[in-house]
Amino acid sequence: MTHYEEVNVHGYEEFCQAVSERKGKDIFTYFSGDKDDKGKSWCPDCVKAEPVVRGEMTHLPEGSVFIYCQVGERAYWKDPNNDFKKTLKLSGVPTLLRYGTPQKLVEEECFKADLVRMMFTED
Amino acid sequence: MAALCRGRHRWRRTIHFRVFTRNLTGKYDYDLVVIGGGSGGLACSKEAAQLGQRVAVLDYVEPSAKGTKWGLGGTCVNVGCIPKKLMHQAALLGAAVKDAKKYGWQISGTVCHDWPTMAAAVQNHVRSLNWGHRVQLQDKKVKYLNLRGSLMDEHTVKGLSKAGKETILTAKNIVIATGGRPKYPTNIPGAMEHGITSDDIFWLKKSPGKTLVVGSSYVGLECAGFLTGIGLDTTVMVRSIALRGFDQQMAALVTDYMEAYGTKFAWQCAPKRVDRLPSGDLQVTWTDTQTGNEHKDTYNSVLWAVGRAPETKALGLDKLGVKLNKKTGKIVVGADESTSVPNIFAFGDISEGRPELTPTAIKAGKLLARRLAANSTELMNYDNVPTTVFTPLEYACVGLSEEEAEKRHGKDGIEVYHAFYKPLEFTIAERDASQCYIKVICEQGGDQRILGLHFTGPNAGEVTQGFALGFQCGATYSHLLQTVGIHPTCAEEVVKMNITKRSGLDATVTGC
Repeated sequence: MTHYEEVNVHGYEEFCQAVSERKGKDIFTYFSGDKDDKGKSWCPDCVKAEPVVRGEMTHLPEGSVFIYCQVGERAYWKDPNNDFKKTLKLSGVPTLLRYGTPQKLVEEECFKADLVRMMFTED
Repeated sequence: MAALCRGRHRWRRTIHFRVFTRNLTGKYDYDLVVIGGGSGGLACSKEAAQLGQRVAVLDYVEPSAKGTKWGLGGTCVNVGCIPKKLMHQAALLGAAVKDAKKYGWQISGTVCHDWPTMAAAVQNHVRSLNWGHRVQLQDKKVKYLNLRGSLMDEHTVKGLSKAGKETILTAKNIVIATGGRPKYPTNIPGAMEHGITSDDIFWLKKSPGKTLVVGSSYVGLECAGFLTGIGLDTTVMVRSIALRGFDQQMAALVTDYMEAYGTKFAWQCAPKRVDRLPSGDLQVTWTDTQTGNEHKDTYNSVLWAVGRAPETKALGLDKLGVKLNKKTGKIVVGADESTSVPNIFAFGDISEGRPELTPTAIKAGKLLARRLAANSTELMNYDNVPTTVFTPLEYACVGLSEEEAEKRHGKDGIEVYHAFYKPLEFTIAERDASQCYIKVICEQGGDQRILGLHFTGPNAGEVTQGFALGFQCGATYSHLLQTVGIHPTCAEEVVKMNITKRSGLDATVTGC
C-alpha cells in the first residue's frame, strides 16, 4: 500500500478528468510519449527519464497523487496546437509537472534524480 | 591542544561536538555560507560553486506584519523590481488602450481593470521564478536551506527552521546578503495594525481600492503610479520633497506628470493616526505642516513607503563585533565588501553606502565569489551606475545630478544641455508631453566630458541603458555630436542636444 495514489491516463481528456476528480490534492504528473504494445515509447528521452522518476516516487508526499499520462502518438505531439501544448503550456516530453504550480521539470531535467527528489520533497 | 591556543570563543565549541572535531582538523562544512537568497546572495553562491567551492545558501522570509510571505529570490523577484515592473506595465497598457482608439482601434465601451486577474498572473510568474532559482541552485550544486541564519562566531552559522529546529554549519568564509525590509512609522497610532507596505501590495488577492501612499521616494511614487494607472483613486502624501537624492528638477517633472494624469498629491503633509471605521475603511488623520491644520479622509488602504531598514537584527552581529553604521544600521564594508571581521563579508542592500539595486548586488556578488574562490583581485565598480524610476512617466539617469555636479565642479565648471521633446507616438494620441525632457550635464571646456545624463519619457530605461555604456567609456559632448541618431525615436534627441541652460534659449525641440 503506497502513501500516494497512482493513476494512468491516456490523452488530454482523460488527464483533465483525473485531475477534476481529485480537487485539492497535490498532483504530480509525468507526461510521456505513447508506449507501443511492447511498452516502449516513441520518445527516447521519456524512456531514459522514466526509471529515474519512478526511482524517486518513494519520496512523494503523503496523500499525493501521481498521474502517468501518455500524451499521444508522435504526430499528435508534434502538432503545435495540441491540447497539452496549447492549454497546459507544455513545451516538451517528458515533463514532470506539479499541477497548479509553476513547478516543473522538462526533458533533460527529468534525468536528474536529485531534481526529481527535490520536487517531491520540497514545498 | 591546538584548539586552546586559538581564540577566546573556543570553549563554547565543545557544546557542539561535531563542530569541535571539524575545527580540530581545520576543515569546515563549507568553503562559503551565504546568508540571504536574494539577487546578491544567489549570484554569489552560484558563482562560488561554479568555481569549485562547497557552498550553502540560507534563505528565510520572515512574514510581513500582515502575514505576507514568499519564496526564494529575495526582494527583487518577490516584492520589488519584478512584480513592480509587471504592474507598471499593466497600468501602461491601460493608457495604451485609451490611445488605441485614436489610432483606429474600435473598442466598444469603457475598459476597466480587474485586480485579481493581474495579481494572479504576476504572482504566478513570481512563483515560476522562485522555482527557477531553486532548480538553478540544485543544478549548480549549491546547498539550499530554508532557514533563518545567524552568526554564532566567525566560522559558525546557526540556521533556525520555522518549527524552531536548529542546524549548525561551519564555513571558511561567511557572506551576509540579507537585504532590507520596509519600515513602518513608529509614532503613528494604527500604522502597523491597519497599513500595508510594498511587502504586501503585490500579493493582495483583492484590489487595494482607494489608497493613500505615504512616502515619495521611488517605492511610493512607482506604486502610486501603477495604482492610478489601473484606475484606483490614489493619493501620495509627501513630507517634504519627492525622490530625495535624485536630481530635483527631474523629480518635479515626474510628479508633475503624475498629478496631470490623476494621482493626487498631499504636499508637506504628515500623517498623525490611522483608525478603522465600522465600515471597514480606514480613516487617516494628518497635519498640513504648512498651515498647521488637521485633516481627515477615508481610504480603503494605506501603503507605507517611508524607507527600508537593513535586515540585521537577528544576525547576531554585535556579538561578533561586526561594525554597523550608527545612523543607517547597515553593515560597514570596505571596497572589497569586507566587514570589520576578517572572513565575514557583506554586500547588497545590507551594506553601507551602496546603491540598493539588483544589478550592483549581482555583480558585486559574482566578483566577491571570484576573489574568495579564485584569487581574483577585481573589485566592484560602483560608479556610473544607471538607474530608472518606473513611474507613469519613466525617469532614467546615469551619473551626477545637476545639484551634485554643481557642488563638485561649481556652476561655472559645468555646461548643461537640455531639451523638451515630444514622442512621436504622443501626437496622434493627443497626449501632453510637457514633462518629456532630457538633460546632459557636461564639464565646461575641452571635450566636455559628460558628468550626468537624465531622461524622462516612455521606455526611459531602454533608452538610457546604451548611453550608460558610453558613459562608462568616458563619453564627451563631442562624442555625442559625432553620434548619428536613430529616427524616429525619443532616444535620438539625446544626441541632438544643443541648447544650453546658460543660453536661456527655448529648449523645445522643433520638428526635423
